[in-house]
This record gives sequence, structure tokens and C-alpha cells, in this order.
Amino acid sequence: MLSLLLVVLGFFAGLLGALTGIGGGILLTPILALHFGIPIREAIGTSLVAVITTSAASSSVHLQRHTTDIRLGMTLELATSLGAAVTAYLVDYFNRNWLEGLFAAFLLYSSITILVRRGRIKDETPMPANGVVTIPPYEPQRYPLGLSASLVAGGLSGLLGIGGGPIKVPVMFIFMNVPLMVATATSNFMIGVTAAASALVYYRRGDILVELAAPLAVGVFLGSLLGARLAPRIHTKYVVYLLVAIMLYLAAHLAVHIFRGGLS
Amino acid sequence: MSEVREPGFDRIVALVLRWGAYGCFFIMLAGLLTGLFLHGQLPARIERAGVLLMLATPVVRVAVACFLFFHEKDWKYGTISLGVLTILLLGAVFGIGEH
Repeated sequence: MLSLLLVVLGFFAGLLGALTGIGGGILLTPILALHFGIPIREAIGTSLVAVITTSAASSSVHLQRHTTDIRLGMTLELATSLGAAVTAYLVDYFNRNWLEGLFAAFLLYSSITILVRRGRIKDETPMPANGVVTIPPYEPQRYPLGLSASLVAGGLSGLLGIGGGPIKVPVMFIFMNVPLMVATATSNFMIGVTAAASALVYYRRGDILVELAAPLAVGVFLGSLLGARLAPRIHTKYVVYLLVAIMLYLAAHLAVHIFRGGLS
Repeated sequence: MSEVREPGFDRIVALVLRWGAYGCFFIMLAGLLTGLFLHGQLPARIERAGVLLMLATPVVRVAVACFLFFHEKDWKYGTISLGVLTILLLGAVFGIGEH
């Protein structure tokens, strides 16, 4: 019964994620911790598996459209995977309330970037029907800044069990001069490796609950496949508002929990 | 540099990710379904295999890209990929604080 519930939860997280371009991890970690009573560290490790699933499924689609900059992605992955592995080792030293507070702050920050990005996406030309995308020539700039931001994004990923897209995309788009479509695809591409760098550490420590991770990943996989197909056809405006509403709810719920003395 | 797209390169890396994602999906699904009918260790073992394959997929993806870069004599990005691979493998080898 619990497995079925987790498949459904994963399905909706994957669907929302694919429709709005965020990974499912940002929803899954707090839901697992708050509503399933799972200790925050296990919730993080378990949701990382779902994050890898989303990234693998969706970035294989982006790669076929040739919108992913593998070289840029690989370079920034040096920083994201280092940050993710290091914080995955250090997560024991972080106070639980502190982690939850950081998560709540990240939910707020992500809600804002999602709302801001919506305004920008309208200006982008829609995906052509034949799937062939022309990307204007560009040269990634400010590598030191990009690498530093990636280190932070990776660190947060290892600490919170998320993909970190809401940091990577704006950094590549705004600071490194990469077209938004390429930044989105490349961020998606990097998320799998970033999450794996910390997930391997969590797994070795026994912090990935396999009996929860498997049904979640099954649901996330189905949800993101459906979402990727629906995305060009559906009006994402209301989906974005729904997502932001859920994220704000989770942030508030986390805050309440911290003030009540934290989770187990 | 970055505007040069290599369709073959993209396709091979995409294949690795797709096979990994679909493979894990079916293995985990098999684990869940056998869990409905069977009790004991088998369903959990199948699910664990699926999770491990999922964790391995990005590592294989980096290894394949690393090989392709060196194959193209692109030393710079081959070395970068090797660095990423090293970080991933270090995390897999040195588990600390196990409980």
C-alpha cells in the first residue's frame, strides 16, 4: 500500500517537474520528511535516486535535440560533483533544524526564480515541430564564476537531495552568456552526475531506503515521460502556479516544524 | 568551440542514459510486482539492483564521454571527464560513517 502511494507521489513529482523544468527532488525530500516521517538524512538520500532518474530520462531527450553543451556540462560537473560529494560526507555535522531551514530558504528562492523565468520563456521561440533547433553561436564566458557557483549548487545538492537546477540555469544563462535553452538542457544533463556524486556517499552510509526509492523512481520515471510529452501542448501557466503553491506550502510546513522543535 | 555540435557524440551519450533509465525502471517495476506476490528477500534484492543500476548510470555516462573525448584526441575535455570520474569513484569507494 505504501509502495502504491509512493509510486503516485513520484508520478506527480515527475509530472510537475517535467512540465515546469525543475527536478522532483525539491518536492520529494520535504514530503518524505514531513509526511512520511522519514529522518531528513534518509529522505535526502532516497530522493537523490529519483533526481538521477529524472535527469537520465529527460536529458536523453535533450541530447537528441542537440541542445546540450556536453563540454560545458562536463567542466562545471567538476565543481558540482566535488561540492556534492564533500557535503554528502559532511551532512552528519549539520544540525537537522539548520538543514530544514536551509531547505525552506531554497524552496523560497526557487519559487522566485521559477516565477521570474516564466516571464522570460514567453520571449523564446517555441520548439519547432520537427524537433530541429537552431541555436545561435555562443561562447561560454566567466568560467571562474560559473565554476564557483557550480560548487555551491553541488554542495546544496549533496546537502538537500535536490538537483540544483534553479541555481545552475540562471548562472549559465545570465553570467556565462549561454542561451536559455542550452542552459536548461545542460543543467538537466549535469544533475544526474551531481546527484550521483552524493548519492553514492549516501548509499555507502546506508542512507538510501531502497524499499522507498524504488517505487518513487518508478513513479518519477512515468511522470516525467508523460510530462515531457504533454509539455509542448499544455498551458504551463497554471502548472507553474500549482508548483509554486506546493513549494511555498512545504517551506511554511518546514518552518513550523523547526519552531516546534524539529523532526526526528 | 561550443557551437560545434557532434550529433554522433550526443547520440551515444543519450543512448547510455536512456538504457540506464529504462533498464532501472523495468527492474524496479519487476521488484515492486514480485513484491505483491512473493514474500522474502527476492523483491527487495531486485529493487536494490535497480537502485544500484540507477546510481551507476551517471558514472557510466561520464566514463563513456571520457572515452569518446580521448578517442577524438580532445585531451582537455578527456582529462576533465577523467577528473569527474575520479570524484564519483572516490565517493563510491570511501564510504564513511556507515551505520
